[in-house]
Amino acid sequence: MDNRRAEKTDVLQGTLILLVLRTLEALGPLHGYGIARRIEQISQDLLHLNQGTLYPALLRMEQEQWITGKWGASEKHRKAKFYSLTAAGRKQLAKETGDWQRISSTIERFLGPIPEGLREELP
Amino acid sequence: VSRRSVLAARIRALFLRNRLERELDDEIRFHLEMQADDNIRAGMDPRQANQAAARSFGGVATMKETYRERQAFHPIDTVAQDVRYGWRMMRKSPGFSTIAVLSLAIGIGANTAVFSAADAQLLRPLPVPRPGDVLTVGSTSPLERFGNLRASYPDYVDVRDRSTSFEGLVAFTNAVVGFASDPDSVPKLKIGTLVSANFFPVMGVEPEVGRAFRPEEDHVPGRDTVLMLGHDFWEQQFGGDRSIVGRTVRLNGIAFTVVGVAPAGFTGLDQFTRYDFYAPLMMWPRLMTDPGIRPLDTRDFRNLDVRGRLKPGVTLSQTQTELSVIATDLERAYPNTNRNRRLAVRTELQNRIAQNPPTAALLAMLTLLAGAVLFVACANVAGLLTSRAPVRAREIAVRLAIGAGRRRVIRQLITESTLIAVIGGVLGLGVGYAGVTLFRQTQLPADLPITVSYELDRRAMVVSLLVALASAVLFGLAPAIRSTRADLTAVMKATDPASYGWRRRWGRAWLVGGQVAVSVVLLAVATFTYRGFQQRLRSGPGYRTDHLLMMSFNPSLVRDTLPQAQQFFEQVAERARRVPGVTSVTLVSAVPMGVDYGFSPVTIVPEGFQFPAGTESAAPLGAMADEHYFDTLGLSMLKGRGFLVTDSADAPKVAVVNQQLAQHYWPAQDPIGKRFRVNDSRGPWVEIVGLAKTSKYTFIMEPPQDFVYLPFRQRPQPRMILLAESAGDPSALVPPLREVVRGIDANQPISNVRTMEDLYRMRTVLILNVVSGLIAALGIMGLGLAIVGLYGLVAYAASRRTKEIGIRMAIGAGRRDVLRMVLRQGLVLALGGLGVGLLASAGVARALDTVFPGGPGGDGRTDVVAFPLVAATVLAATLLAAYFPARRASRVNPTEALRYE
Repeated sequence: MDNRRAEKTDVLQGTLILLVLRTLEALGPLHGYGIARRIEQISQDLLHLNQGTLYPALLRMEQEQWITGKWGASEKHRKAKFYSLTAAGRKQLAKETGDWQRISSTIERFLGPIPEGLREELP
Repeated sequence: VSRRSVLAARIRALFLRNRLERELDDEIRFHLEMQADDNIRAGMDPRQANQAAARSFGGVATMKETYRERQAFHPIDTVAQDVRYGWRMMRKSPGFSTIAVLSLAIGIGANTAVFSAADAQLLRPLPVPRPGDVLTVGSTSPLERFGNLRASYPDYVDVRDRSTSFEGLVAFTNAVVGFASDPDSVPKLKIGTLVSANFFPVMGVEPEVGRAFRPEEDHVPGRDTVLMLGHDFWEQQFGGDRSIVGRTVRLNGIAFTVVGVAPAGFTGLDQFTRYDFYAPLMMWPRLMTDPGIRPLDTRDFRNLDVRGRLKPGVTLSQTQTELSVIATDLERAYPNTNRNRRLAVRTELQNRIAQNPPTAALLAMLTLLAGAVLFVACANVAGLLTSRAPVRAREIAVRLAIGAGRRRVIRQLITESTLIAVIGGVLGLGVGYAGVTLFRQTQLPADLPITVSYELDRRAMVVSLLVALASAVLFGLAPAIRSTRADLTAVMKATDPASYGWRRRWGRAWLVGGQVAVSVVLLAVATFTYRGFQQRLRSGPGYRTDHLLMMSFNPSLVRDTLPQAQQFFEQVAERARRVPGVTSVTLVSAVPMGVDYGFSPVTIVPEGFQFPAGTESAAPLGAMADEHYFDTLGLSMLKGRGFLVTDSADAPKVAVVNQQLAQHYWPAQDPIGKRFRVNDSRGPWVEIVGLAKTSKYTFIMEPPQDFVYLPFRQRPQPRMILLAESAGDPSALVPPLREVVRGIDANQPISNVRTMEDLYRMRTVLILNVVSGLIAALGIMGLGLAIVGLYGLVAYAASRRTKEIGIRMAIGAGRRDVLRMVLRQGLVLALGGLGVGLLASAGVARALDTVFPGGPGGDGRTDVVAFPLVAATVLAATLLAAYFPARRASRVNPTEALRYE
């Protein structure tokens, strides 16, 4: 039980990191809630994010030095931690975007119509 | 790079724990408030809004747990948490914790004590930097496997100049001198070491005050009268005076200038001697008490200790190969002195073992016994943990169910075990200290600073800690792994969490059976040793020790010549004889069991004896004695005569040998009238005139050994011991005898004033008592622990069967039946363990003969009485251990037992 859950989070986390990096690239410094909102908006609530899981992911990205966090005042003058992309983060985003595109195009090819020649070789 | 930055961030986080924790809380609060605000804006009422915000966020606690695990350096962080939790668990069950901790304290303490003995005798490294690189080099022959590895000065120089394996080779030798801080005071006996000039630099030892020796002080024999003081001696004798450099002191009457002081903590390269001073090796000829020997020029005077500091990267076998080549060349160049001589190299540990194989064997045995005690202790704790497992099974199941990883739970359980072990280890230091106190009783009766220093030092503490950690793994790992493997649903559902897992009880039964078996072996060894040693003490050393006082003289320390010394000895003996209360007086070169005045070897070549190839002579121990020695010591003459006044320097040379030597060289023949040469194959002939009983010469446990007596007038000695027999208390003779010596020569140093009784007690009785006491203590510890284990198991098993017992009693079983049933369960284990243990003990009795040649009792027979003794003790103890829980089980009230649960 324990294991299955862990696998699920891992898959999600890889994507989550890409989404966060992309969000920060697009919108600049943003606090955790803003990132969560943005991801939900863009995915039009198709991707249901368990918002809490965002924070361990942010921590990891901070530790990897892809993003840095700074405490500042939010729009309503409340104290909030704003995350922004670093140079390493930009590099990581480029890499992950490339990875993702490669994977998704591969999967697309699999899911597309099966080529004629290949069908004949099958028993 | 990324790995490293993550690790760095985590380590940083360790120090900012509280702040980071606060920040996370702030962040979460901010998030939830923002979400709630948005929700309100979307039309929810505040309460709904908050709930919806919490829902979309997910479990805060789980998230924080994940967050924390990632945030800080994981192991350290959770270890602290585990330790705190473990400590709470220990306090929750004080009975369990007490027994577990005490068991381990005994098991670990036994090992600490034995380690401190092994450290003092064998293991403690030399007090120099990088002691592991320092090797012993020396000359040996194919037949010498043990003993000291030494070299002559000419051989040392050749090896030093030719070998490329070493950063440097140093040489040193002991020098006992009469030391006077100024010309007028009476010299006192002191021990120093004469060292080659490179000694301090090669060993990496910097003087505390002044300088060490210079290279040019290594060239001209007898010229450089310079001296360094040992640190202890400097503080005792000169009060740590730093202006000591330049001061003149006298060694054997020769003026020496102090040039430096050795640093604190450096006591020389001999593990037992704390040297008072250091002088250049070139002073050897002038400080030698026997002027007939030219120590620096004689290639077969092998009395020099040589140590080399290995170059980095050079191996022991490369060194040995190189030395073998040098030895072959030396053999070719100097066939007279170096025939069949090899050069050998040993590590410090190898050297110490070779110098004293019986001690090494004894220590190996003690280590095994202490290990056995530790095993029994660990088995106890493992058993306790196993019987606690059902109690904790539900707690563990809950933790696993709410998402704790299995590894996390195992780590928690191992932390608890380690905590128990470490507390046990700390208490074990107390047991270790008791051991050290016991060992310290066995100090050597010597005037010189020769000591075996038993310490409960940092090394012993580190060893205790390591033993504790090892035992935690030993007893904690298996139960921990097993208890996390349980089927969660079964555990949670079960009314009785322990109803599954009967196999666990079987595992524990094996463990307890093993404990009993091991404790039987421990007790058997203790009994063999104790009874054997008692037998040795009863049969005695073969000479009398009562009513005898000894004192030793060394006139060469005040520069007397040999004839002058001889005259002095005779005078003292003669006047001592006239002291009231003295019934007999004898002069002898050494006494049995002596420490710094023990017997030394005499080289003999028995006539007509065919030596094995490679040897031409033998070197049994010997003594130079006068005509009263045999009577005064009560050594009976089996055949022939003892020495006479007429066995003077110009009379035909005679000898008395012991039975062992006679049988060795002239088996089944009358030894009287047989001859041997002394010193070497060209030495003078000596005729055997008497056959003495074989006695003990160096230690009570020694196997019978060859011994030769020579008349002291035919072989004059620079130092002699006076033995006076008294009618009453021998120590009452000390003042009058001192007066006698002062009357002859007020300047003569007197040393080793002691009764033979004292000497025998310290060198024999105390040592045997300490060794057998230690082994007995290990045996009793083993038995005690095994009984606790057995008691625990029987009590546990009985408590698990309460319901069954209630049913049995309800359908008519009597209390006696129940008693018998539970008792039987315990006894089967005890008897099984006892049987196996007794069988093993029979084998161990054999093995004991290798530790104590001739067996502990010295008669080579296995002590059969020990078996029934041990069996009866163990049986009685185990019966008691099983009886109490059995009685409690038989008093169960059936109605209550059935209502229970």
